[in-house]
Amino acid sequence: MKKSLLLILSLLVVCSLAFAAGSGEKAQAPAAKISYEVTEPITIEWWHALEQQYWPLVDEIVGGFNNSNDLITVEAKYIGNYATVNENLVAAHAANSGVPAITVANTPYVAEYGKGGLTEDLTPYIKATGYDIDDFGEGMLVASAYEGKQVSLPFLISTQVMYYNKTMADKEGITIPAKFADMETFLKKATKKDASGTTTRWGTIVPGWDQWYFETFYLNNGVKIVNDDRMTTDLGGKASVAVTKQLQDYMNKGYAYWAAGTSASSTMRQNFLDGKAFSVIHTSSLYNLYTDLADFEVGMAWLPAGDTKKSEIGGSVILIPAKNDQKVKNAAWVFLQYLVGKEVNMRWADGSGYMPTRNSVLTTQEGEDFLKRKPAFKTIFDNLDEINPRIQHAGWNQLATIWKSNLDQIMLENTNVESQLKVMAEEINEVLADSE
Amino acid sequence: MTSDSKNTALNEEAMLLNQRAQTRKKMLNIGQYVLAILVTLVMFFPLYWMLITSVKSQQEVLRSLPTFWPREWHFENYANVFKRANFSKYYYNTTVMTVGILFSQVITGVLAGYGFSKGIFKGKNFLFVIVLGALMIPLQVTFIPLYIMFADWKLTDTFLGLILPLAVSPYYIFMMRQAFFSVDDSYVEAAKIDGMGRLGIITQVLVPMTKSTLITITLVTFTDGWNSYFWPKIIAKNEVRRVLTVGLVHLRNTFAGLDTMNNHEIMAGAVMAVLPVIILFFIFQKYMLTGYEKTAMK
Amino acid sequence: MKPLLSRKSSKKVGDFATVLPALLFLGVFVYYPVVQVVRISFTNWNLINDSYKYVGLKNWIWLFEGSGTKYLLNSLKVTFLYTLGELFVTIIGGMILAVIFNKLAKSFSIMRALVFLPKYIAMSSAAVVFLWILNTDNGILNYFIMKMGGTKVNWLGDKNRALLSILMLTGWRTIGYGMMIYLAAMRGISTNYYEAASIDGASKWTQFTRITLPLLSPTTLFLFVTTFISAMKVFQSVDVLTSGGPYRSTEVIVYMIYKYAMEDFRMDRASTVAVFFFIILLIITATTMKISNRSVNYDV
Repeated sequence: MKKSLLLILSLLVVCSLAFAAGSGEKAQAPAAKISYEVTEPITIEWWHALEQQYWPLVDEIVGGFNNSNDLITVEAKYIGNYATVNENLVAAHAANSGVPAITVANTPYVAEYGKGGLTEDLTPYIKATGYDIDDFGEGMLVASAYEGKQVSLPFLISTQVMYYNKTMADKEGITIPAKFADMETFLKKATKKDASGTTTRWGTIVPGWDQWYFETFYLNNGVKIVNDDRMTTDLGGKASVAVTKQLQDYMNKGYAYWAAGTSASSTMRQNFLDGKAFSVIHTSSLYNLYTDLADFEVGMAWLPAGDTKKSEIGGSVILIPAKNDQKVKNAAWVFLQYLVGKEVNMRWADGSGYMPTRNSVLTTQEGEDFLKRKPAFKTIFDNLDEINPRIQHAGWNQLATIWKSNLDQIMLENTNVESQLKVMAEEINEVLADSE
Repeated sequence: MTSDSKNTALNEEAMLLNQRAQTRKKMLNIGQYVLAILVTLVMFFPLYWMLITSVKSQQEVLRSLPTFWPREWHFENYANVFKRANFSKYYYNTTVMTVGILFSQVITGVLAGYGFSKGIFKGKNFLFVIVLGALMIPLQVTFIPLYIMFADWKLTDTFLGLILPLAVSPYYIFMMRQAFFSVDDSYVEAAKIDGMGRLGIITQVLVPMTKSTLITITLVTFTDGWNSYFWPKIIAKNEVRRVLTVGLVHLRNTFAGLDTMNNHEIMAGAVMAVLPVIILFFIFQKYMLTGYEKTAMK
Repeated sequence: MKPLLSRKSSKKVGDFATVLPALLFLGVFVYYPVVQVVRISFTNWNLINDSYKYVGLKNWIWLFEGSGTKYLLNSLKVTFLYTLGELFVTIIGGMILAVIFNKLAKSFSIMRALVFLPKYIAMSSAAVVFLWILNTDNGILNYFIMKMGGTKVNWLGDKNRALLSILMLTGWRTIGYGMMIYLAAMRGISTNYYEAASIDGASKWTQFTRITLPLLSPTTLFLFVTTFISAMKVFQSVDVLTSGGPYRSTEVIVYMIYKYAMEDFRMDRASTVAVFFFIILLIITATTMKISNRSVNYDV
């Protein structure tokens, strides 16, 4: 009897402890005067989205920091792709626990994080430590700011490009068109079909798993993805319908296929490497991967332009989550400066396909030297002014999901473009209004 | 003579019929064997393929002509997995979580099973209906408020967070109640006369008498806990408390876009994730095979 | 008189105390969240924002008369299709396997164990293995198909096959379970029935349809009810194999809830779908319970 009561009591204690564990202090009193100095040894966690192939480079760069800094030890953690990083980061922020000291974030999330108060405003840090940010490309700085506050800094920057099989191109005399209007002729030439009309070699492959890859086709043909009122979209409008129909037409004619679904990305790469596709639309950051794996010469071209020939800053910014202790933030700031520093940035640029972020590289002799090592990047250097910040909106993530799944259906099921885009636009307007 | 010959003819015919019936039976028998072997082969193939792939080299995995027996054995694939993802940590997390769930489910289940079968108190039936009602409320419905609640309590990425929602199982309570019901009250009365307390009766009389049910349900609890995915994926996203099931998917993600050519290591991870349960299955086969029958029989 | 009473009531308290921990836990971690999920469905709770407010029926209108309706209908369709598939595999497939494996030989008991084993394989491991087997270019299944003169099949990327692929995976895990349940029930049927039938000259097939099947009806009903409810809650296989794609063709209802909650952080919309899902589950449970009280042969 007594024993059983004792047992139950102890169980209850365990329960109540579980409850008590949660009722800790929530609000942090802001310190009157913040010091940005690191004074004692500290270990901090860095979240990144760099896959296996980059890990030796990650180890080298983080190791370089740890060896040169007595107080701070950085642990690099691979979290998953950008979407997973976003999920984990927002979840940790909401839970107010398990937040990393410093993390990468895909470029379109800056607004959402800035609005939600997830990120630390780096401006005071920049001032206090006299850090020079003027060397970053201006568009890149804009892309990492929210309402004038520098809530992040450019880290691994890439842009949309078209990779093509240069060996094939030279042999068959095919060139990548500069204009969207010339796509059709190009695709016709680059596509091969067998007697029954089945495609044996795709002219190109359009990644449908991330709207970033096809976004520029819309932007350059006069589509406002988010209207100036920030509450509506023009994706249901005439210009958008025209672009979509054009893309759908390529799919119908067997010139291209829409890469979506499980393993879409790896299947696309494999097709290109196996010579089953003349070209693919992908991110410039994978340049090294493609050249390493292909047994032919890989060419890199700017995406065919419409009225404009803009591209968008992709890849990641780096930021410090606001829900961290000041000590952690200070250490993170030290590491952040190292990560985005010119020297380390060039290591990334050389060891991957990411772009140099510094004006002092892009516009000087150093840039010329870089181009000698990576001649294919000339396309990007020639178009530096055309690389624009992403559209920033707190509802962007939801918009993207809806847009992608609708285009998937249009491309793969050959549904009616006008009616589907119209319904889609209404749905997007809803989430934009909800988020603004 | 004629009648005799008729008789023998009849006999022969009967024998022939008998023989035919027997060959038919034999054929059926062989057919059953063949079918059974075929089905077993198909069913076992995915596991075989997992094992075999896990020791192949990358080249062999990518061959367009697959090999059904590895040409070379690459056990280092297993070691490599530890470099890519922190599997030792995942093992530790999964073990602690599973044991935690097991302990709390066994203790609360056995106690409540006793209370709802042999106990006497007001509202017993009504309270039992409440327990059964919980069976109809799956985690898939309640995970949103649970997640927000646990985030408020700072239980994300903790063992407590992993264990608490699964700490009590209405199913366990139900099964233990059934099992204790099957024990005659006279045993309990006799023990009471001997001066045994409530805990004594449970642990020394009821539990030993229902041992096989207890073991069976506990094994089910163990494998369910070990294999759980939905809640751990939500509550323990980070490496500190990531469990094997979630960790395996994470391992696959680290090869993003290059997963096909790394399937030998992914399979090695898969083997490691299921090995403990397979071993358990073969040790406790008797219980694990009957486990589900018991639930079906009621 | 008095001490006796108090002893009795203390005994009652002691008995009640044995069920208390379980009840407390269920109250906090099962019943209370149900109240909460209903409440959240009337707010505009986005996880990334610190505050939220009540918005009345907005989410419900979104779900039933707004842009959410078509997704809900799609999810319901996918979920029921999937459920039908799993019921088919578990009940029909399980019964066929039970007939095949109904033999007392030692070799059969080993084979039975191997057929049942997948039930214990963690879904995420099994799913990762199936991703490899079903791979379009390097997968072994397509290799077999091409060997037999077929063409490569895009198992996971084709919207007409993705759900089938998921069913292959879950079917692989549950068919052995169906078999074991049926086998146990078949062994429970007295041999007298069959002996009597053989004397009457009934063929094996007649015996099966006239004796075995009717006597298995409680088992079939049990499998039907439990499989139905568990299939409605499918998530893992979808999450690992297809993530609901291609274009929502495998977006079952739990995956829909998960996506709104943990990817878009729209706790408001996710909760609304969750509440609706809960109501569906309750209706199904109540209906199946009613059926099971009727029209089933319990004379075993």
